[in-house]
Amino acid sequence: MLEISKLTKSYGHQFALKDVSFSLKEGEIFGLLGPNGAGKSTLIRIVNQIIEQNSGWIKYNNDLFKREHLKNIGYLPEERGLYRGMTVEEHGIFLGRLRGMSVKESKEALKYYLERFEIGEWRKKRIEELSKGMAQKIQFIFTVLHQPKLIILDEPFSGFDPLNVELIKKEIQSLKAQGRTILLSTHNMTSVEEICDRAVLLHKGEILLEGEVSELRNEYKTGHYVVRFTGNMIGFVNALWSGFQIIDTREFGNNRFEADLALVGDSSIDTLMSVLIGHVKVEAIYEKLPGMQEVFIQAIETAQKAVENEK
Amino acid sequence: MREWRERVGSRSFILFSILGPLTVLTVLYMLFAYGGKTATKWNVLITDPAGLFEDKIMAKMDSNIRYSFADNYIEIEEFANGNRFQNFDAMVEINEKVLSNKSGFVFYRQIPSKNLEKRVQYQIERRLEEILVKRFTDLSLVDFKKIKQPLNLSFRNVYDPHDQAQDKRAWVGLFFGLVIFIFIALFAMGLMRSISREKSNRIVEVLLGSVRPIQLMFGKILGIGMAALLQFSIWLVAITIGLTLMRNTLFPDYLSAHLNNRIQLVEEVQNPHQFDKQFTDFEYNEFVDLVFERVQFGPMITAFLLCLLGGYLFYSSLFAAVGASVGSESDGQQFVIPLILLLCFGVYAGYFALANPQAPLTTWCYYLPITSPAVVLVKLAQGFNPGEMYSLLLVGLISLVSSILMLWISGRIYKNGILQFGHRLKLRHFFKWTKNV
Repeated sequence: MLEISKLTKSYGHQFALKDVSFSLKEGEIFGLLGPNGAGKSTLIRIVNQIIEQNSGWIKYNNDLFKREHLKNIGYLPEERGLYRGMTVEEHGIFLGRLRGMSVKESKEALKYYLERFEIGEWRKKRIEELSKGMAQKIQFIFTVLHQPKLIILDEPFSGFDPLNVELIKKEIQSLKAQGRTILLSTHNMTSVEEICDRAVLLHKGEILLEGEVSELRNEYKTGHYVVRFTGNMIGFVNALWSGFQIIDTREFGNNRFEADLALVGDSSIDTLMSVLIGHVKVEAIYEKLPGMQEVFIQAIETAQKAVENEK
Repeated sequence: MREWRERVGSRSFILFSILGPLTVLTVLYMLFAYGGKTATKWNVLITDPAGLFEDKIMAKMDSNIRYSFADNYIEIEEFANGNRFQNFDAMVEINEKVLSNKSGFVFYRQIPSKNLEKRVQYQIERRLEEILVKRFTDLSLVDFKKIKQPLNLSFRNVYDPHDQAQDKRAWVGLFFGLVIFIFIALFAMGLMRSISREKSNRIVEVLLGSVRPIQLMFGKILGIGMAALLQFSIWLVAITIGLTLMRNTLFPDYLSAHLNNRIQLVEEVQNPHQFDKQFTDFEYNEFVDLVFERVQFGPMITAFLLCLLGGYLFYSSLFAAVGASVGSESDGQQFVIPLILLLCFGVYAGYFALANPQAPLTTWCYYLPITSPAVVLVKLAQGFNPGEMYSLLLVGLISLVSSILMLWISGRIYKNGILQFGHRLKLRHFFKWTKNV
C-alpha cells in the first residue's frame, strides 16, 4: 500500500534519514521503532508531505505519492495540540472540512466515535475544559474521523493511563479489522509485541532491523528456558546437575518460583524434566523469547559496538 | 475562516468596534465644539494699483473686517515678510483685469473660516458690481444683479501662494495613515501571536498534515486581514453616521444652500439684518470646515483601503515570519521591537512628508513600502496633479511587488521554521530558513 524507497533527508551535513526503504501492506499494523533522534518523526513528516526528502520516493498504491493522497491519511503527531477555545464539535468539523468532509459528514462521524468511546456528552465541551487524557482521546478520534485508509500514529499511547492504553490498542486493532493500514511509531514495546504484525527499527537514520515481530524476537532469542515451579528452591538447585546453568530466579510467594536456565552441553528439555520430577512440582517449562524491548536494546547496542570497533 | 471567526467573535474585536468610532467621534466633537476657533476679526489690505475701488468697499461697515487700500502693487513675498504688512491678516489682489475675468486672489496668513471667506467674497463682489454698473451700463444695480456673473475669488496661503502644502488636509491624510499603522500593528501582532501559539501548542503539525505551510500562512493572513477590513467598515459606518448626525444637529451647515447659488445668496442678503443673521449666527470652526468641507472622503477612503491592503500584506508577512520562527511562545520579543520601530518610522515618515512635501526623503518614503501607506495618503490629501498619476501607479506597483516578494520570503521562513522548536531565535535563523532546508 505504501512503498518507501531510498529515502534520504539531511539537515546540513547531518543525516536524518539515509537510504531508508520499506513497505506497508494493506491491513497490517506496522511498527516504526527507534531511539529518540533515530529519524522516525522526519520519516513521518516526509510521508505527510510536511517536509521534503532530499532523494528517494514514496508510492501510494503504486502511484507516486501526491498531495491529493493526503486525504487518505490520518495523522496523529507526537507533539499534538488543539485550539483550546473551540468546542469538541466545532474542532471536529474544522478538521473534517480540512480533510474534505462536509459539515454533516463531520458531525455524523464525530457522533459515531464519541458514542463508540462513550463520551457523547463531551460534544459541546470546550477543549480547555478537558483533562489531558480526555484531550488525547479527542485527538485520536479527530485522526480517524475522515475514515482514512492509512493511519499514522506517532506515540499514540503517551499521556494515557493503562486503561486508556488498552482502549486505544483495541481501537487500533478494530481499525485493522476494518482493513485500515496503521503505521505505529512508539516506544511502548509491549504494545508492539501485542499488536504489530511487522516492524522496522531505525537507528541514526538507517534501518537496523526489519521484519515480522515474531521473527525479530526469534532472531534475538538466547536459548534460555523458563521453568515455573512450586516447592523448595534448594531442592530445585540440588536437582540440577552440571548440564544446566541458572541464569536468574524470581520468587512469587507461597513457595512459587520461576528460574531462567541455559542448557549446557548435550542437555535437553527432556533431561531437564526428568531431573526435576520428584524434587519440585513443575507448572511450566518454555523457551524464553526476548521481548521487543530486549530486541531493541540488543540491536542498538550491537550497532553502537560495531561503530566503536570501526573507529 | 476559522481565524476570521475567532477574531470577529472575540471580545476585543467587539470592544474595539464600539470604542474606536466612539473615541474618534468624541475627539472630533471636542475639536468641533472647542478647538480651532479662528480669529473673527480680519485686517485686510486691498492692493488696487488701478484705483478701481476708489478706496471704498461697503456702505455698511463690517464690524469683523477692516479694509485698507494700497494704490501700488505689492509682491507676495514682500507682503508675507515685510514688517509694515505684518498687521494685515490678508491681502486682496485687485487689478484692472478683474472687470473682465471676474477673478482675483486673496492671500492669507492663517486659513480663514468659511464665515470670513464668504464675507470677503460677498463684500468685494458687491463693490465690483457697483463699479461695473457705474462704468459700463445704464442699468440699475438691482437689474444688473439679475444678469451678473459671480466673482471667482481664490484664497491662497501667502506663505504658500501656489497652494502646495495644504497643511490642514495633509493632517487628515496623516490621520488616515496613522489609522492604517494602528490597524497593521493590532492585526499583524495578532497574527504573529496566533502563529506562535499554534506552533507552541503543536496544533500546527495536525494542520500541516492537510494543508501546505504557505496555504496555512496565507489563509491566516487573509482571515485576519478580512477581520481588519470588517472592523474598518464598522468604524467607517459608525463614524459616517456620527458625523452626519453631528452635521444635522450640533454643527449645521447654514451656508450650504447658498454655496451652490451665489446669485441667490446675493439676493437673500440684500437685507442687512438678513446679512448679519447669515454671517454672525453661526461661528464657523476650522475643524468643522476641514472635516465637512475640505476633505474628499471618497478618494481618501479608496486610497486608504489600497494602502491598508498593501501595508498589511507587507507587514503581516514580516510578523508571520517572526511568529513561525520563535522557539517558544515567549521567544522572539527582540524581533518584535524592530518591527514596531519600523511601524513608528512609517508614521513619522507621514509627518515628515507633511512638513517637508518637497524633500528628497519624502520622495524616497513615498516609494518605500514600509513608509508608503502613510506618505501616499499625506501626499494625496495635499492634492495631486493628474500628471502625477504615474507616480501613484508606480507606488502601487512597488507595493504589490514588494508584498508578493515579502510573502514569498516569509512563506519560506514559515515553512522551514514552523516545525523547529526549543531554540532561541537568532537573526541567522531567518537567513537559514529563507533557503530550503
